Amino acid sequence: MAKVIVYPPTSMILSDLVERTGHKALVVPEQVRKLVTSTEIESPPLNMTPEEPKKGLRYAAVDVPSGVRGRMALIGPLIEEADAAIIMEDPGWLTGCAGCNRTNELVRLLIRTKGIPVLDLKYPENDSQAREFVRKIKAFLEGLK
Amino acid sequence: MIRIAELSCGAEYSGIQKEIERAAETVGAKIVYPEVSLDDILNVEEKFGVRVSSGDLNMAMARAVRIVENPDLADAVIVMTCFRCAEAAIIRSEIRKFIHERSRIPVLSYSFTERTTAETLLTRMEALVTTVKYRGLLGRERQTGLTAGIDSGSTTTKSVVMRDNQVIGTGWVPTTEVIKSAEDAFAAALKEAGVQKEEVQGLGVTGYGRFLVGKHFNARLVQEEITVNSKGAVFLADAQQGPATVIDIGGMDNKAIAVQDGIPGGFTMGGICAGASGRFLELTSRRLGVDITELGKLALKGNYQNVAMNSYCIVFGTQSLVNSLSMGCKPEDVAMAACHSVAEQVYEQQLQEVEVKEPVIMVGGTSLIEGLPRAMEELLHLKVKVPPHAQYIGAVGSALLVSGLLEG
Amino acid sequence: MLVTKYIITSTESSILPSDIAMKIYGSGYDLNVKETCFGVIINGEEKVVNEAVREIRALDPAGIFIKDRGFPPGDPRRCRGRRGGGARPGYYMIESESKLLPMISRALASEAGPEEKAEAPLERKPLDIKRLEEIIEEELS
Repeated sequence: MAKVIVYPPTSMILSDLVERTGHKALVVPEQVRKLVTSTEIESPPLNMTPEEPKKGLRYAAVDVPSGVRGRMALIGPLIEEADAAIIMEDPGWLTGCAGCNRTNELVRLLIRTKGIPVLDLKYPENDSQAREFVRKIKAFLEGLK
Repeated sequence: MIRIAELSCGAEYSGIQKEIERAAETVGAKIVYPEVSLDDILNVEEKFGVRVSSGDLNMAMARAVRIVENPDLADAVIVMTCFRCAEAAIIRSEIRKFIHERSRIPVLSYSFTERTTAETLLTRMEALVTTVKYRGLLGRERQTGLTAGIDSGSTTTKSVVMRDNQVIGTGWVPTTEVIKSAEDAFAAALKEAGVQKEEVQGLGVTGYGRFLVGKHFNARLVQEEITVNSKGAVFLADAQQGPATVIDIGGMDNKAIAVQDGIPGGFTMGGICAGASGRFLELTSRRLGVDITELGKLALKGNYQNVAMNSYCIVFGTQSLVNSLSMGCKPEDVAMAACHSVAEQVYEQQLQEVEVKEPVIMVGGTSLIEGLPRAMEELLHLKVKVPPHAQYIGAVGSALLVSGLLEG
Repeated sequence: MLVTKYIITSTESSILPSDIAMKIYGSGYDLNVKETCFGVIINGEEKVVNEAVREIRALDPAGIFIKDRGFPPGDPRRCRGRRGGGARPGYYMIESESKLLPMISRALASEAGPEEKAEAPLERKPLDIKRLEEIIEEELS
């Protein structure tokens, strides 16, 4: 079983396809879960505090906007843990945890420079592209076993 | 309950969303998020004019469009994005303009870091709520009866007594002990006016020390400086109708307020750099060996371009001034360089965040340092107005507004 | 550890969110279940959630999709009713991906079938500069 980071890191389709093949999808909701189920903090909605942008300093300098560093505190550890990655071309509708393009650029850069196997894809627009999409993911994930 | 629509990017991830909500709650407001559909976000360029690569900024723009189309969705708007994000800085400013030009909803624009706290946001939120809640009171153009105002500032405490739309007494003291200074300034104003404290029908209080002073004197009106100062400025400058821009460079913070018919429509408040404050000019005058009241006149004779200033900082900027003196620069050039430095920092960091419309009114004690309004005129390429009693702006605004409360 | 997952059905799936909820109730899993417009949200001990997910997937292997969720169902911190309206930002991503699910479902269903070549995307080549000049002259003459 490989740990596969998916980009966008909140993608339902990618995380589902990864888990179907018996691998572990590394996704942001698991990080959010750790925060929101922590009883010690009371900072709604995400229970993020100024501590997260500080943790993000591990991935980006202090002159990088706090929202980027805060997001990196969630996504950075997933990149560190990843054995492989699937990266989608920006579909133009990323919001929330993936709603900052500066963060997204940094995430893609850190994944690519890590030297792990990366599968680059586009969201499909028709049935034959969808079949190709599923097939490529399956082949990529089988190659990780 | 006042509804403040939050149009933001990065607040949750900076860990400050709770601070925004706490500040709103403290001033009796609730944060709301206008509903938008996925199509509203994807097609935002059609109605707003641009779509950017960060989805959360597109969402903020889509929400701005929704508010302009349905102004009853919110009473006020805050536009907040991460400090140092260029993409967000452009969009934040454009959202502010978009709402300002298409509605009467007041807008507060702010860039935050993870260090932004509810306390930082409080005065700004209070002003935002006041403009909504007391629209009728803020529309008041005449002072009636015998009222007084106290402006308990960080550096100086000012007081005025007003009767039938005229300032009849003023008092000015450096702020030491907050209540003691307020008592002294008030006593001086009463003495000049020739009236007894008991005769005053209503007292309004503003400034940093407003809560303490307001409680001490049992003031009828205790109000933040943004609404009070803009009211005082347009009153004294005789610009109560139509647009105006108020610039107040204080001892510890600066305000830039876009006013329409005497009511703030948008404003910014800066307060982390002493280099953009009256303190910088005070240090310069001390170094030049002239009284602060003489610094402005001296500056008018100088040329800032003859002095190389490497920094706006009160430490390193002052160092540049000292160095230039030792290299033979004239004191008048140094005086003007200091005025230009303060004006330029306010111009760069604050006046970009509000709509600058004429008349531009400069107020507060620093506006009497003639070089400062001159430097601002050069930067803005337009005439700057310094009204009479400009240093008593907050006290005048308080005395004017409190008279509105007396009529019930 | 308590975990929360979305179970999202493709619009072309014959399985309805209520079918999934009934399945969970019928199998006696100790889970919180909340029906939504996309499917259902389930919350419970990780082991139980994973078992239930396996069983639910079997209802329509190509038409049911699973996604992790950080917040428990109905969490007031994320509930739009309590937080002054407006969908939470992640909602738009689920909505966008949900529109693609029928295609993905059909692709998954055809997985067992014979391999066919995907339609090659149209190659976008800039117009030859000579040809552009000809067009400009034609149009302007």
